[in-house]
Amino acid sequence: MKEDLLWVEKYRPKRIADVVGNDEAKTAFVNWFNNANRTKKAVLLYGPPGVGKTTLVNAATHEFGFRVIEMNASDTRNEKAITRVAGPATAFAALDTFSTESKGNVLFMDEVDGIAGNEDRGGVSAILRIIEDSRIPVVMAANDPDIEKLRPLKKVSTLIRFYQVRIPMIISLLQKICQKERIKTEFEAIERIAENSRGDVRSAINDLQSIAETTKMLTLQDTEGLSARNKDISMDETLRQFFSSKSLLDASMLLSYSSVDYDELLMSIADNLPLRYKDPDELAAAYNFVSRADMFRGRIGVDNWHLLRYFFNSLAEAGAVSPKSYEPFTFISPPIRVITLFWTKGKRTMLDGVCTKIGQRCHVSRATAKNDFIPFLKVLLAKNKANNVVTWLELLPEEVEFISKMSRF
Amino acid sequence: MVVLNKKAFKLPFMEREKFLLLVRLGLSYDRTTGTFRVANYNNLAKLSGTLAEILGADEITFTQTCCMCGKDYSCNECKYLELCDTKNLPFQCICGQCLREGKTFKDTS
Repeated sequence: MKEDLLWVEKYRPKRIADVVGNDEAKTAFVNWFNNANRTKKAVLLYGPPGVGKTTLVNAATHEFGFRVIEMNASDTRNEKAITRVAGPATAFAALDTFSTESKGNVLFMDEVDGIAGNEDRGGVSAILRIIEDSRIPVVMAANDPDIEKLRPLKKVSTLIRFYQVRIPMIISLLQKICQKERIKTEFEAIERIAENSRGDVRSAINDLQSIAETTKMLTLQDTEGLSARNKDISMDETLRQFFSSKSLLDASMLLSYSSVDYDELLMSIADNLPLRYKDPDELAAAYNFVSRADMFRGRIGVDNWHLLRYFFNSLAEAGAVSPKSYEPFTFISPPIRVITLFWTKGKRTMLDGVCTKIGQRCHVSRATAKNDFIPFLKVLLAKNKANNVVTWLELLPEEVEFISKMSRF
Repeated sequence: MVVLNKKAFKLPFMEREKFLLLVRLGLSYDRTTGTFRVANYNNLAKLSGTLAEILGADEITFTQTCCMCGKDYSCNECKYLELCDTKNLPFQCICGQCLREGKTFKDTS
């Protein structure tokens, strides 16, 4: 079972000293954590992804004997959810401190900059209240602390910045992992993986695992695939490789390499799932993951790209529900919704044109024209009583014919 | 680019306001040796800018400490300098010699 672990998890540091890089940040966090008279009850760790923010929190709480109550980006973090989970945890001392070695709880909110949209409404103000009333340390982590909605949180928190981990540090860490996995390496191969990671330790370890897991000798040639990270892989190729992935890691890596449009990818995968999974339970499980991926896609919006890995992971899980049952099939591409939009483009343009004319004449929006006026016009046309209206609206004969034949609005 | 030893470096004589500004930005001054050292990292970007102005340099960087051998060294020696986005902080890295020797992190757990 241990062998199946992602190396990122297998080699995740258990102690603060094992967290690579960012020594100033580590010292600052430990000082804050151990200071019983801390001026600010919350700390905000911020910096690029994969530099050790979450790892440091887990290592420190483990080392100092605290229990972590975690709310991460996959949880809905609106006012109600935060108050329900974090409220009791922060308001009372943990009961098990009297009976076990636990020294208490720490509330950890990862990816707080991902709190957005309607699902997380009231989240930031709920966190502020929690911090104000809290009797336990509140730790938050974010990639981008400069976004407007985090400003109130920054005011009440101690800020600790994390920097990208430098290439020599990543090289040394990868060499250590290779030693433990008994993999012989060419230095240049490790160097290329480290350079390609751009300071992201997590992606460096994932890259190393994807290349070196099945080999005992890692060469520079093996790392040539890494340059494919920015290469264009077509939708067809992406789907073909995705549905024939042999493991979760394969699927996840493929998605991160591919540069197809994420919305199209999501829809294409959703459309093809019934062809891929014949078993209803497997299909349901796969759709569950797609639904989660869709949720993350919504949260990513235009500026929360650090959540992309959750999107990829959820999609990858949808493709790897049952790798053993895979049989080649003819998949649908592009997604059905795109095909439908293509087929109906002419009709939609015609309807838009009519609605615009009605809107201009009657001073209403196109939506109102479509919902309130077109059905009425259709009835008039059916009863041959629309001549005056048609002339007044300056509708063309083909537009009149289109509305007469419209089956639904 | 001027490289300064973050633990002890000397500066030319300067007016009182400049000295106070440097102290406010995070330098501390040792009267016995007449040297400055970086005591606070929170305003390092501003501090580097002020020092560059005083020294008439285009860029100031501080020495790094190798987390393997403990030696202080300059980033100028690093072959990954152009790929590095973090010129000053954090102050720990691995020197070229330790990297060539293949020294790896030790487990503490």
